[in-house]
Amino acid sequence: MANIEYLLLFLVGSAVISYFLTRLNSFIGSIFTIFATMFVFVSLAAYGFNMNLDTTVSLLPWFSFSQTYLGFFFVIIIAFIYLMVSFFHPYFLDKYPYKNSYNLLFLLSLAGIIGAFYTDHFLQLFFFFEMIIWTTMFLIPQGKSREAAVSYFGFSLTGSVALLIGIFVIYQNVGRFDIQAGLAGISGTTSVFVFVLFMIAALAKLGTFPLHIWLPLAHGNAPHPFSPVLSGALVKLGAFIGILALIKINPIGPVIGAIDLALGQYIIAFIGSLSIVFGTLMAIKEDDAKKLLAYSSMSHGGYILVAFSALNGFAFAGGLYHILAHALASAGAFMAIAAVARATGTTKMKELGGMIHKMPITYLAYLIAIISMAGIPPMGGFISKWLIFQAVIDRGMILIAVAVFFGSVGSFLYVFRPLAALFLGQEFREYKHVKEAPLLMLIPTFIIMGLNIYTGVIPKQIIDFINNIIGENTAFAPVVATTFTVTATYGTLNAGLIALIFGVGVAIAFIIFILMKKSRKVELMDTYTAANFVHDEHLLHYSVDFYAPLERMYEKQSHWMKKFYDALAHKVKEVGKLAKYLFMSNNIGVTLIWILVIIVLLIGVVAL
Amino acid sequence: MSAVLLIAIPLLAAFISILFKKYSIYLLFAVTIFNIANVFLATEGIIIIGGFSPPLGISLLVDTYSKIALLLVNALVLVIAALNVKAYPKYGTILLLVVAGLNGLVLTNDLFNFFVFLEISGIAAYLITASNKKPITTFRYLVIGAIGSSLFLLGLIILYSMFGTLNMVDMIKEIALNNNYQELVLPFTLMFIGLGVEAKLLPFNSWVKGILGHSNTFSGPMIASVYASAMGFVLGRFITNLFNFEGMLLTVVLVILVAGIVLSDIMAFASKKSREILLFSSVAQASMIALLFVNGIIIWAVYLIIANALSKTVMFMIINKAQKDVGSDEVKSLQGLFANNLVIGIIFTIATLSVMGLPLLVGFTIKLNFLTELADAGQIWTIAFILIASVVEGIYFVKLLLKLWYPEGNLIKVNYHLSFKLVFAIIALALLTFGVYQAPLDKLDNTVDTVMEVVNNG
Repeated sequence: MANIEYLLLFLVGSAVISYFLTRLNSFIGSIFTIFATMFVFVSLAAYGFNMNLDTTVSLLPWFSFSQTYLGFFFVIIIAFIYLMVSFFHPYFLDKYPYKNSYNLLFLLSLAGIIGAFYTDHFLQLFFFFEMIIWTTMFLIPQGKSREAAVSYFGFSLTGSVALLIGIFVIYQNVGRFDIQAGLAGISGTTSVFVFVLFMIAALAKLGTFPLHIWLPLAHGNAPHPFSPVLSGALVKLGAFIGILALIKINPIGPVIGAIDLALGQYIIAFIGSLSIVFGTLMAIKEDDAKKLLAYSSMSHGGYILVAFSALNGFAFAGGLYHILAHALASAGAFMAIAAVARATGTTKMKELGGMIHKMPITYLAYLIAIISMAGIPPMGGFISKWLIFQAVIDRGMILIAVAVFFGSVGSFLYVFRPLAALFLGQEFREYKHVKEAPLLMLIPTFIIMGLNIYTGVIPKQIIDFINNIIGENTAFAPVVATTFTVTATYGTLNAGLIALIFGVGVAIAFIIFILMKKSRKVELMDTYTAANFVHDEHLLHYSVDFYAPLERMYEKQSHWMKKFYDALAHKVKEVGKLAKYLFMSNNIGVTLIWILVIIVLLIGVVAL
Repeated sequence: MSAVLLIAIPLLAAFISILFKKYSIYLLFAVTIFNIANVFLATEGIIIIGGFSPPLGISLLVDTYSKIALLLVNALVLVIAALNVKAYPKYGTILLLVVAGLNGLVLTNDLFNFFVFLEISGIAAYLITASNKKPITTFRYLVIGAIGSSLFLLGLIILYSMFGTLNMVDMIKEIALNNNYQELVLPFTLMFIGLGVEAKLLPFNSWVKGILGHSNTFSGPMIASVYASAMGFVLGRFITNLFNFEGMLLTVVLVILVAGIVLSDIMAFASKKSREILLFSSVAQASMIALLFVNGIIIWAVYLIIANALSKTVMFMIINKAQKDVGSDEVKSLQGLFANNLVIGIIFTIATLSVMGLPLLVGFTIKLNFLTELADAGQIWTIAFILIASVVEGIYFVKLLLKLWYPEGNLIKVNYHLSFKLVFAIIALALLTFGVYQAPLDKLDNTVDTVMEVVNNG
């Protein structure tokens, strides 16, 4: 039987081994990493679904573990993303300045993830969270930007610190660090306080408004194989904390009568909807495919928050389903972009085009991923959004519903842009020699493609597992599901039937495509503009200024939040300079004055 | 062996070393090694000097607390001197004085005797900082240090005039009988400020910027690690046993310390020079240590002193060596320092992560333990301030680390001697080991400090 403790030690041990193997040869080290991750994933999957993991500890006596359906749901998704991404390592590592440490930090962070979701002790939760943060923080700067890593670390640390303060508030009131007992043991003002602190942690880690600045920076600049981990796996830590706060702490505050929802939850739902709107608007503007997907992650984080705020069974199930669907979709999309970036060296949309001819499988993977992301059947994202929409309407949260629908429509506007820009259109001459990704990279691509469809067609097993989580953590009614259908307040969704119709449609289209005359390939330069010969094909790329009129509407406002944080950092620096001027003066007299001030102050106070 | 030798031998050796200047540094090695052995052999308890039974005469107090302090101070002096034996060979005599002075500070149970040792170690410190070749900063240090020790002496005189004794144990007894804390506010404030100057607590520490900001591989770790830890230990002794802050004085001290932590981290955040970043982080740590002592969290303060001394030794030496070779300590000009010095880079990273208090390293264990004890004491606001400061700290350290790891433009060349790497690697390994395996840390508790026991049981 698999034991958590052994899994953790195994990962730490393999991390060290992978360092030396990678040093020897980065390919061998990466292959070793794949097997190590696979071993952990398979162990978890084999025993975890039925809660058969061994949680006893013998070698690490200061840790204690317990297994929950909720924790397992997160851990299996994240371990899966880690496994999938590890297949990319052999082809990427050589480009990184400190490639030897890449696999080491990657495996260590996975150990942190497993610990975080299996521990039943608050301080250990914090231990694992911090471990994840610092190990991943050193992975990000291997990509394009160091500032991205600082930003990621700063926001994550802010989140962790809020979490830790919350933990100590709980400890002060309950007297122990046990997670279940702690969350159950607080009430009144304390619970509001802890709720706020936990939500800050959740927002920071989930990368939602207003703590989202790090998200595009980190996702956009991280090493290509690490972006899927960030977006598909690590931000979900925030969702976990969000569930603890919204569902488990659930502070009793003023209730908004019209929608029968506590003010706290409504505020979070509102923040979630802001996140959806801002994420969507910013994604529409973005030219870099990875940053675009990062903003889409921000908007999806908003959906997750809305779902867990609505406090009913469908919403809760929808939120969890969305976590799974988005993890698969964003991992799929980021991995496709990583494959393109590996072949071409860029992720800027206006520099790319026509990749479908060279990388058809990658194209298909991206297509399926974004269909799920946009919430279109027959992919997983549709079912989750369908559940969330039901819950929002059911509650009568009109304002939120507007944002949720806006985000859904908006995602059509942006997710198809990379598809068109990267994969469709005409190809540039410099990419004539590009080839499809190697077989090892196609393995995870196929698996994720399959799962994206599976989650959209056969919801039964997933809903069943989510029902276990509902039963374990809430008093909500379970969601009814058969093999192909899900039933909610306003009817039954037959995902299987929809998929069938969709499949038939695709088949017909394919037949037409086969039968029709082949289209003639035209090169970009094969044209004249106003009788001038075009000398630079890049200017003709259609994705340049694609949504220019729309972007102009909010061009100025789009930098507000970034400016705010820049200003904040600047102000902190100025305070530092002032403090230096006041306390670190070269003039001895200044120090003397401080000493005198303190003495006089004390004597004055005591004399009074 | 008697603990008196811990002070007498270095003092004697200091005089002898003047005759054999060339061999003074080797004499120092022998003396520190002897001292370390002596610490293990010394019997615990009160040691009476000259046959005067207390409260008359001078007595020394040996307990686990002072043994830890002695071990740390002597071992660090040995290591730092050994690593600098080529670059700074002429400081043997001064270092012998340092050892005598700091050992005396830690051991003595007599307050006036304490003042004498404060002056001895102070003079030695001024001489050490003279190696910075920035006389004006040393001069400022000297003046401020003199002000500090005079304030301490003034407070001491007031106490003596009130209670008529200089024996610490005896004084504590008298104070307990007197039980009017208001009268003690003035002397205690003066003494706290006096010690605060040496322990570099904000706002009495303006000398630090000049001294550590221009430090070298020798003076940097000596001041930031050896002196900081010795002063931390004695400040702790005074706070826990003599001062026992109460009422308004407690509030003011807490505010000064918490503000010291937050402001120092913010000042480090605003700094662009690597040495300044390190020195402000040291100032924050000093305030943190004092804060723990004020809250009665002795053992974790002790561990924090040790962890901090080890990490800061490594960090200051690495940065100061680089500064010496490159000629600038601007973070910008040290970019990519570790690209060619992988081992040094990993060690520096480990030390930094430990200071930041990140998991797998001992700094994290210490941080969580003292935060838990603070929570037990109901100090949730203190915790909040400490943690908010830790965000600022985290950001500036990560910025520093990433700049040092990732080169921009030309690679800079700094060569670290093998002995540096070996010693640093051992320290890094220790930080890592105790970060993962904390059982040994749980063996000791707040009873390491036995002054109150002596007071109660005679």
